[in-house]
Amino acid sequence: MALDTSIPVLVVDDYKTMIRIIRNLLKQLGFEDVDEASDGTEALGKMKERKYGLVISDWNMEPMTGYELLKQVRADSGLAKTPFIMVTAESKTENVIAAKKAGVNNYIVKPFNAPTLKSKIEAVFGD
Amino acid sequence: MSTMSDEHVARIIDFLRNERRAEDVSLEDVMRLAEIMAESFQSLFETLDVTIYAELGEMAHEIANMKDDLSQLRLADMRSEHIPTAGRELDAIVEATEEATNTIMSAAEEIMGADPSDHEAYQAVVNEKIIDIFQACSFQDITGQRISKVVTTLNALDVRITTLVEKLKIMKITDAPLTETEEERRKRELILHGPQFKGEGVSQDDIDAYF
Repeated sequence: MALDTSIPVLVVDDYKTMIRIIRNLLKQLGFEDVDEASDGTEALGKMKERKYGLVISDWNMEPMTGYELLKQVRADSGLAKTPFIMVTAESKTENVIAAKKAGVNNYIVKPFNAPTLKSKIEAVFGD
Repeated sequence: MSTMSDEHVARIIDFLRNERRAEDVSLEDVMRLAEIMAESFQSLFETLDVTIYAELGEMAHEIANMKDDLSQLRLADMRSEHIPTAGRELDAIVEATEEATNTIMSAAEEIMGADPSDHEAYQAVVNEKIIDIFQACSFQDITGQRISKVVTTLNALDVRITTLVEKLKIMKITDAPLTETEEERRKRELILHGPQFKGEGVSQDDIDAYF
């Protein structure tokens, strides 16, 4: 099944350059509807206003981290089913285990490349 | 039996009242007080015991030496000049890498957005943007030099702190128990480690095994 690139995607990162990189990679993959947020609080606000088909979030942000965002999303019945990919420099086993336990759909460690992003998005949607 | 003279007592009182810097007691204050006390008690003890008199003289001499050693470390200079300069160097590195990244990304975006149907125009855009990318990469030379300066400062700081620890025999003092700061607590609870060195964190392949 072909990847549905018409879904709105929310990219959450406090580093503008990383948002720009992910946005361009998503564009290359065919995703045009991409919104951005600079931390978990802003992302949660946007998610309550609009239904996103995918969230790609960094871990280390202030005031709300990606890990906290993930837990809040999974605890909110209206948002709980949103696919969530963590893209982060946090590469310790305990981070991966904690994210998995909190309900993350996939985990990408920085630095990453376009094929990795593509394969993880495909894995999330079962392609 | 001789006692401390009024003059000695007056010196100590004068030091405590006026010479010591207003609010915080510094190591220098303590050493200075010890020096005055040692000198003042000398007149008392020299009549009692020659050995004690000699010990006090030795102590005063050691204190004077320690003050001299501390002044050689030029700690004030490190605090007022070298460390702030290192901070400015690091800020400049962040700024330069950000500027270069933006230039490179803008060039790549323009190449991505260029119309390939007009072959000549497309080639001109690609050539121009490739030059921009090459020029932006020159940041590496300057940031490399800045990083070397910061490393030099850190090495100098390391030497001075090590020297200070040795001179003051600080290693013999038991470390106070660590108190977790609010920031440390946040990092622990939210599992914030930051980037790992190559080969130290888990690889993408290892992560994939969890999914």
